[in-house]
Amino acid sequence: MNRTRNNPLADDLIRPLLHTSVWFYGAVLVLATIVLCGAAAWAYQVWYGIGVAGINWPVFWGFYLTNFVFWIGISHAGTLISAILRLVNARWRRPVTRCAEVITVFALMIGATFPIIHLGKPWLFFWLAPYPSAREIWPNFRSPLVWDFFAINTYLTGSLLFLILPMIPDFAVIRDRSSGLRRRIYGTLALGWQGTTTQWHRLEAAMQIMAVAIIPVAVSVHTIVSFDFSMAHVPMWHSTIFGPYFVAGAIFSGIAALIIAMAALRRTLRLHAYLHPLHFDNLAKLLLLMSLLWGYFVFSERLTVWYGNQPSEMAVFWATQRGEYASLYWTMVFCNFIIPVGILSFRRLRTLPGIVLVSCGVLVGMWLERFLIIVPGLANKPLSYSWGTYSPQPTEIVIMVATFAAMALLYMLFSKVVPIISIWEMKVGNQPHPALPADEEEEQQGLWRARP
Amino acid sequence: MTPMDRRRFFKITAITGTTAALASCGNPENQIVRFIPDEELTPGVAVWKPSVCPLCAAGCGVTARVMDGDAEVFRSGQPGVTRMGLVRKLEGDPEHPLSKGRLCVRGQAAVQVTYHPDRLVAPQRRSGDRGSGQFTEITWDEALSVLVERLDATAAAPAQLAVLSRPRRGRRHELVAEFLRRFGAPAPVSFEIFDDAVLRRANDLSFGRHQLPTFDLARTSYLLNFGADLLGTWNSPLAHSVAYGAMRQGRGGSRPKFVQVEPRMSQTGASADEWLAVRPGTEGALALGLAHVVMKAGLRPADGGGRAGAQIEGWSGGLPAFTPEAVEKETGVSAERIERLAREFASYGPAVAVIGGAPLAQTNGLAQALAVNALNALVGSVGVEGGVSFMPQGPVPAAPARTLREALAAAPPQVLLLDDANPVFAAPAAWKVRDWLRQVPFIASFGSFIDETSALADLILPDHSFLESWVESAPESGAATAVATVAGPAMRPLYDTRSMPDVLLDAGRRLKTPLAPALPWQTFEEMLQAPAAEPAPVAAAPARSTAAAAPTAWRAPELDGSAGEYPFQFMPYPSQALFDGSLAHLPWLQELPDPLTTAMWSSWVELNVRTAETLGIADGDVVEVASAHGSLRAPVVISPGIGPDAAAMPVGQGHETFTRYASGRGANPLAILAPVAEPSTGQLAWAATRVKITRISGADGSLILFAGATRERPDHTRGRG
Amino acid sequence: MAHRWGMVVDLDKCTGCEACVTACHAENNIPTAGATEAGRGRAMHWLRVERYWEGDFPDVKVKFKPVMCQHCDNAPCEAVCPTYASHQTDEGLNAQVYNRCIGTRYCANACSYNVRFFNFFNPQWEKPLQLQLNPDVSVREVGVMEKCTFCVQRIKSGKSAAKADGRELKDGDIQPACVQSCPAGAIIFGDLNDHESRAARLTHSPRGTKLLEDEGTEPKVTYLQRQSWNEPDTQ
Ligand SMILES: Nc1nc2c(c(=O)[nH]1)N[C@H]1C(S)=C(S)[C@@H](COP(=O)(O)OP(=O)(O)OC[C@H]3O[C@@H](n4cnc5c(=O)[nH]c(N)nc54)[C@H](O)[C@@H]3O)O[C@H]1N2
Ligand SMILES: Nc1nc2c(c(=O)[nH]1)N[C@H]1C(S)=C(S)[C@@H](COP(=O)(O)OP(=O)(O)OC[C@H]3O[C@@H](n4cnc5c(=O)[nH]c(N)nc54)[C@H](O)[C@@H]3O)O[C@H]1N2
Ligand code: SF4
Ligand code: SF4
Ligand code: SF4
Ligand code: SF4
Ligand code: SF4
Repeated sequence: MNRTRNNPLADDLIRPLLHTSVWFYGAVLVLATIVLCGAAAWAYQVWYGIGVAGINWPVFWGFYLTNFVFWIGISHAGTLISAILRLVNARWRRPVTRCAEVITVFALMIGATFPIIHLGKPWLFFWLAPYPSAREIWPNFRSPLVWDFFAINTYLTGSLLFLILPMIPDFAVIRDRSSGLRRRIYGTLALGWQGTTTQWHRLEAAMQIMAVAIIPVAVSVHTIVSFDFSMAHVPMWHSTIFGPYFVAGAIFSGIAALIIAMAALRRTLRLHAYLHPLHFDNLAKLLLLMSLLWGYFVFSERLTVWYGNQPSEMAVFWATQRGEYASLYWTMVFCNFIIPVGILSFRRLRTLPGIVLVSCGVLVGMWLERFLIIVPGLANKPLSYSWGTYSPQPTEIVIMVATFAAMALLYMLFSKVVPIISIWEMKVGNQPHPALPADEEEEQQGLWRARP
Repeated sequence: MTPMDRRRFFKITAITGTTAALASCGNPENQIVRFIPDEELTPGVAVWKPSVCPLCAAGCGVTARVMDGDAEVFRSGQPGVTRMGLVRKLEGDPEHPLSKGRLCVRGQAAVQVTYHPDRLVAPQRRSGDRGSGQFTEITWDEALSVLVERLDATAAAPAQLAVLSRPRRGRRHELVAEFLRRFGAPAPVSFEIFDDAVLRRANDLSFGRHQLPTFDLARTSYLLNFGADLLGTWNSPLAHSVAYGAMRQGRGGSRPKFVQVEPRMSQTGASADEWLAVRPGTEGALALGLAHVVMKAGLRPADGGGRAGAQIEGWSGGLPAFTPEAVEKETGVSAERIERLAREFASYGPAVAVIGGAPLAQTNGLAQALAVNALNALVGSVGVEGGVSFMPQGPVPAAPARTLREALAAAPPQVLLLDDANPVFAAPAAWKVRDWLRQVPFIASFGSFIDETSALADLILPDHSFLESWVESAPESGAATAVATVAGPAMRPLYDTRSMPDVLLDAGRRLKTPLAPALPWQTFEEMLQAPAAEPAPVAAAPARSTAAAAPTAWRAPELDGSAGEYPFQFMPYPSQALFDGSLAHLPWLQELPDPLTTAMWSSWVELNVRTAETLGIADGDVVEVASAHGSLRAPVVISPGIGPDAAAMPVGQGHETFTRYASGRGANPLAILAPVAEPSTGQLAWAATRVKITRISGADGSLILFAGATRERPDHTRGRG
Repeated sequence: MAHRWGMVVDLDKCTGCEACVTACHAENNIPTAGATEAGRGRAMHWLRVERYWEGDFPDVKVKFKPVMCQHCDNAPCEAVCPTYASHQTDEGLNAQVYNRCIGTRYCANACSYNVRFFNFFNPQWEKPLQLQLNPDVSVREVGVMEKCTFCVQRIKSGKSAAKADGRELKDGDIQPACVQSCPAGAIIFGDLNDHESRAARLTHSPRGTKLLEDEGTEPKVTYLQRQSWNEPDTQ
């Protein structure tokens, strides 16, 4: 079989780049409008002052920081999962990796804007960065916000590389199949890829290095984000388990986001042939595992607080357990634990719609978890005279909705310029290049035989 | 006495300098006129000038920090900008015997009177209907000619001229009284809702001093206070607080005791070592119960009560009707407690008993005050260190005055001059002050703001602010020695305003038929200078003394409204920040958290925890408070510091029109008061109204609290700590 | 020896009158939020007098507690500030450099005492109320955190006045606005390194406690607890 020509795989995967439906334009228009509304809301906030948001004394952080942590959490789906799967050489990873890595990059970009949006003086955000100023004032390296700056930038850089490196051979494929301006652009992006053995070896080596390097970075990012809280002596923020708790939560919400993105792509781009129920099933098992882990962390965190019985912490504890935040809290437990465990533990219920439903619930639950970490603690600090409440204002809600729209928009646009499933990796799965280590026999037999 | 600056601050050298047409050329309104400054100030260097706080009757001395700055002024009918000495901050005058370098919360905020954005900058003539609040700016020449024309027209029937002001001592009031006397008009009418006329009368009877008392708190060992908010708003609160600090710590020896008796915990009560809730209006019975125990136990002989004791029926017989058991029934304070307090009070001298505020604003206010006076006399606390005494009065006598009730009972005058009084707001609606004022053909106000009363004026002749004028105070209490303060202006006037005494003097000179004999001074400054140069001998004799009258019998308070229909006793109280409402226009005071409820910018009704539970009312819920004379709506603050049969509400909010900061905010509890009076003085018994309470709705957002989660979502279990 | 400024609040003297609160507003150009914003939790009181109820009617008690920045030796607000806008000076003040602050509000979260206030909007003084502003103190702009400075401007001018007179700084020369105005004399300010100063002596009073001592913030404000009747006076 001549695999360079008449390749149905490449045809399928490049099709979205070449053909665009009216629906796509419509969706882009809607999403872009929402994003613009968000931008306008932000402009309004910059103009009038951050006071147009609902934050107040003493709840100085609200929706913006909730969204920050949420999106940084979502970013853990991608690179981390893809790196782990690469390293353990999971057979089923091939169609999944790029979808996942893209989520990471966009979620990080969106997440990283929130700390800027939430600043009182956003135009001075660069003061968080160490740069040689005339005054020789460096940022305070003791501040977790400065650690965030480094952590997020490192992760973003790494994830971008991790995303772009394996795109090079695919750019070359598109280059070879197109002409004119498109050929020139993809030619540039392909960086002169010819598919030589040396090039394949270098790519694979680079991917191995990146995969090894990115895992600790990813783990550290969310650990450091957790330090934003655990380094401040706010009741129920000041917890030693916050590092792993945040990482677990991040991976949990990340997988959920990945499942939703894959299901959406499968449906809209008609990729049923490549994103098989088995992939969803495997991700669902991972999701179940993370749900159990998350449940354990929440339980142990609450248990130690309850056992410790420190008055200011108990105020927050009860505010979430049965006070004014109780409805949000129990919704969170329901979404993050009861539903996932209830559905995903049973093979019969672990159907594609079921898995997607659970994932949507997990996103809601994990968003609530971030909110419930931030707000009740600030609202119930030790001096009860200064207790407060928080309710979000329209600006915050619009900006938040806009970031979800931005994610969808970026994802859609991305799928129009880059094959969302790595062509060459799929091909390697089918017919390994002589220069690359072949995957096991069963992969081809087990997985591809199952193709509908 | 404060040395006086001879410089003529009043003569504004308002000479137009360069007229700089600024950016928006062509629009004459935007031309900025720079007045040449007539003061030598070193830029950035502060000087301190003495002044007097005008915000309550205490009359504390303050110092004003003056620094140069650019001010937008309005002078000689023109707006402009001038660099001038501006008061930046007020502080207590360290040399003043009352303030001793300290300053109360209202005194601190007094600077905002001068810089208030809604201050009137020039004379105004009414242009709309009466009460519409529409006025047109006019010149002083026009304004004075209108005023003089009206005075001339009244000259034939001089009794038709009336002045309405606040009861204050001092030369300004003397001048007004003198003007009226020579014009042939009756004495000025004076009105202040929280005036202590009842206590003056009681002191007159008990001690021959028609005057408010001074307490030597700094040296007392036992302070027994019946309802007076003496650390917040009552009598001479700043001087009391300074002395209280000295009493608490730093004296050496053992720490004194402070017992507060009141039905609703006040800011003052919050600092007490022992707080006793009594039934409102029975404080005097408790005092007599204590006296009974003291006499019965032989701790003091009955004749120790002296003249003050003789005022009380049954005193010489040891007050047999006031056994602890009987008093327990009357007051709700247990007999054992009465027994114990009486022994403490008689044994831990020097002890002093104080009464003031709500207990006097009952129909039995006089009897209550006499009882406490006699208790003081019994334990030998009168005129001694750590006891109660009377400040020797300086050369300034209390000007004779009529009460507003007397004036309202008579036919309205033809011409009424208003000075610093707002009875339309501060008197019960049942008095119908507004209707009475509407019948006055001509009203002129000297106020700096349009409030409910001056909105009815035909002419407004805005006075300088106190910082821009000669000021004085002649306190009647607060220190052991006589105090009189006179100070020159701390800054030049910002606007086309004139000092009220000077306007009167000027008008007097312009009259067709001159005053006979003419007033001897050309200006108020001249008047102040004349006697102040040589301090007159301190008057040893009381200002006004009546011979001891027949003994007064204790009687229970009479309340307006039946207990069945109106189950709650309504207790308005002066707000710590806004006082009687006259300070509601100052933003610092509006945003000051109330010390007990932490409320800002709000009105509220305080209800007992269990009462609220019974009525199904949650913190922040809006209720209707209705008396037989009117009703109002306000949110509820549930408080553990108030009895189950009472509803308390701060006075101060509920202005219809009083600058941007106070208008249309909250409700005015004074409006629904019953027009009942303490009979011997005619003083409004503002604590003698019964009300009913009906829940109207949940929180409406009008209750703004600084503390706790109640700020946005009322939930009284929180924020308590 | 360097100064180390500290404060003592005698709760036995404090009457909850809040003269200190308004004094702080007047001295430090603290903006008035207005009713709407105050209702949304934007009122600024660098110094507040906390009120705590104890017991139930009729055996009820109130405790007042004036709370301002505690100028912690181990200040949690400082460690978290990314720009050093919140930092400790050589004289033990927790200083706030408004020009460095970019408004993360992290410090306010970290401060256990909730004494940091944020400019949610540009402050406004309706003309001519701006004439009351203290020219010695800057007006903060939108997006900037602010809080009690121990009236650093008064510390500075007190020191330079002493220097100009060629004398040593005496105890009591420097009085923050709240200390100066407090009618009851409940607040005492001074140099904790000068062991003769009233503040230093009272810091070691048997009645002395620190607010939220177990948080480990090492505050420089000491609260003298209220006494009972007939206990020997400890001041
Ligand atoms: N029209 C006019 N011009 C003048 C003067 C005048 O009065 N009028 N005055 C003159 C005088 S005396 C002077 S000193 C100069 C001052 O002129 P500049 O030195 O330009 O001073 P600024 O405008 O105060 O501030 C400079 C910038 O530093 C930023 N900044 C603050 N902190 C930091 C930091 O930590 N790092 C960094 N990178 N940036 C920071 C501020 O946001 C601002 O944008 O202007 C001179 N020019
Ligand atoms: N809010 C704020 N405050 C600041 C700064 C800031 O950026 N913002 N910047 C700071 C800095 S960097 C500086 S340098 C200072 C500057 O502060 P200042 O030195 O106070 O500067 P100016 O206000 O420009 O000028 C002072 C006065 O000098 C007068 N003047 C002009 N020419 C002459 C002359 O020939 N002789 C005399 N005797 N007087 C003259 C002017 O009219 C003015 O009244 O401000 C500091 N303060
Ligand atoms: S007590 Fe306060 S309001 Fe009254 S005169 Fe003194 S400073 Fe002014
Ligand atoms: S009290 Fe708060 S603001 Fe002040 S130094 Fe301590 S942590 Fe910082
Ligand atoms: S708000 Fe300002 S002072 Fe506070 S941590 Fe952020 S930058 Fe620092
Ligand atoms: S020391 Fe100064 S800044 Fe601090 S609370 Fe007192 S007056 Fe305010
Ligand atoms: S001024 Fe003094 S007495 Fe009044 S609240 Fe403040 S600290 Fe307490």
